[in-house]
Amino acid sequence: MKRVRPIHALISIFLTVFSAVMLYPVVWMILTSFKSNAEIRVNRTGFWPEVWTLEGYRSAFEYAPIGRWFLNSVFVTVVLTLIVILTGTLIGYVFARYEFRGKKLLFLLLLATMMIPGQVTMIPRYLMVQKLHLFDTLGALIIPHLVGPFSVFLSRQFISEIPTDLFDAARIDGSGPLGVYWHVVLPNIRPAIGAMGIFSAMGTWNDYLNPLIMLNSKEWMTLPLGLVIFDTGRQQDLSATMAVAAIIIVPMIVILLIFQKYLIKGITMSGMK
Amino acid sequence: MKNNRFVAAVLIPAYLFIGLFSLFPVLYGIGISFFDYNPVNSVQPFVWLDNYLKLLEDSTFRHALVNTLVFCVVAVALNMVLSMFLARMIFAVPWRWLRVALRVAIFIPCVAPKVGTALIWKHGILDTKAGLLNQLVKLLGGSSVNWYTTTWPLFAIIIVFTLWSDIGYNTILFTAGLEGVPEELEEAADLDGAGPFRKFIKITLPLMRRTFAFVTIMTVVDYFQHFAQFRVLAPNGGMNDSAMVLTNYIYQTSFRDYDMGYASAMSTVLFLMILAVSLFQNRMLRANWDY
Repeated sequence: MKRVRPIHALISIFLTVFSAVMLYPVVWMILTSFKSNAEIRVNRTGFWPEVWTLEGYRSAFEYAPIGRWFLNSVFVTVVLTLIVILTGTLIGYVFARYEFRGKKLLFLLLLATMMIPGQVTMIPRYLMVQKLHLFDTLGALIIPHLVGPFSVFLSRQFISEIPTDLFDAARIDGSGPLGVYWHVVLPNIRPAIGAMGIFSAMGTWNDYLNPLIMLNSKEWMTLPLGLVIFDTGRQQDLSATMAVAAIIIVPMIVILLIFQKYLIKGITMSGMK
Repeated sequence: MKNNRFVAAVLIPAYLFIGLFSLFPVLYGIGISFFDYNPVNSVQPFVWLDNYLKLLEDSTFRHALVNTLVFCVVAVALNMVLSMFLARMIFAVPWRWLRVALRVAIFIPCVAPKVGTALIWKHGILDTKAGLLNQLVKLLGGSSVNWYTTTWPLFAIIIVFTLWSDIGYNTILFTAGLEGVPEELEEAADLDGAGPFRKFIKITLPLMRRTFAFVTIMTVVDYFQHFAQFRVLAPNGGMNDSAMVLTNYIYQTSFRDYDMGYASAMSTVLFLMILAVSLFQNRMLRANWDY
């Protein structure tokens, strides 16, 4: 361990206070979700609940199909994350291990799609989704995003670092390309798969723009869109609005706390190359 | 390795898909921008460059364009300086457990959706009667302000919100970068009697130049596309369009007014701006920066 100098202790104290201030809004949300609206009306500026109550959560479930929104969000997130991992590792494997004509150009094209902003493809995608009769279905949130360029990029990076011997050994054993993919590629890039999974899940769970454009009926909404609709619809019901917000945000915080090591590694990998 | 059958079996469907949902929409969007395209109407007349000419006279578009650029420059600059500073300070914390805890705490706002956290700010911080900000104003002897009727203060608040909500991401990136700086260099500088500040400017920063450039440009490209917090905190662009940005204006024009041809012209402008930044990035990253 380093020698603790006063300046380092001072920095530590400053940073602790700073991060506490940063966490204030999140803590405020959680505390407010456990207050009653009566208490909020009387003592709007209070921080700590005088009486802890689940009234906000009850009201949220009563006035909005929260359970349904939650399931929609979980469904889209799980399905899309699994698919993005599958397509990303497969395409990444091809780019990392196979030679073919036009390889460089095709890879560049893929990287270029990472730079296309959502607002540019938003109107055409909306019109296409209408034509494909996917409007106002969960398919509209899934189908346009089956290939994630970032996942391909990350997979290629990791697969090209697997020692060639492993591939040769598998081929001598008589494995075809898919056998090699299953027995050599996937087990050897677990950290990358973890990072991809977390990023994709986070992006999908938190997405607001796509649901906003692609969905119309309440029954198909995902949580972030539902939250905004709820907030506009029940303006005097602050504790319930914060309960809905907590239902979206707290699971992500729990995932962060459990997987923080993977996540931090994943961010580092995405930024260093 | 060669196996054209396998390569084709994977890449042909993949690229058909990418073509259909990523590349085609870009061309389709540019195409629509030459039409008076409204899905509600039965005819969509071809109008040449009318939509682009209309942009020149649209004061809301001008505000949105300027605000987007200001947002990108100011918020990104502040983000870079603050996150670098935070990363350097976290790096100096002598206890590992505290370093991990600080990183996680600062990262927590990043894992939440911006619509959610923006809504928390709306009710908890910006509320006219009871928000934290007005409590502070009153503490300092001022009177409550309705922030939604202000011009630049609301825009500034949205910038602060944005920094709060995703500074953790770059902080983590930079902490990792700092861990990659060879210790011998710092020790050598110690022997030469360099202070911590000089050490940071003369050794750490130059070594991290590549990471720094990469992160800056990725952040710029990302900030061009920010939408949710503007939608929640300034849905109609704020007072006199003072908090209107391109993304929100494009959304309004296309999905509230259904003027999709006009909105596509704006998207094309946004696309060209992001393309310019990306090309610039490509040139910068190709430069040889090894030591």
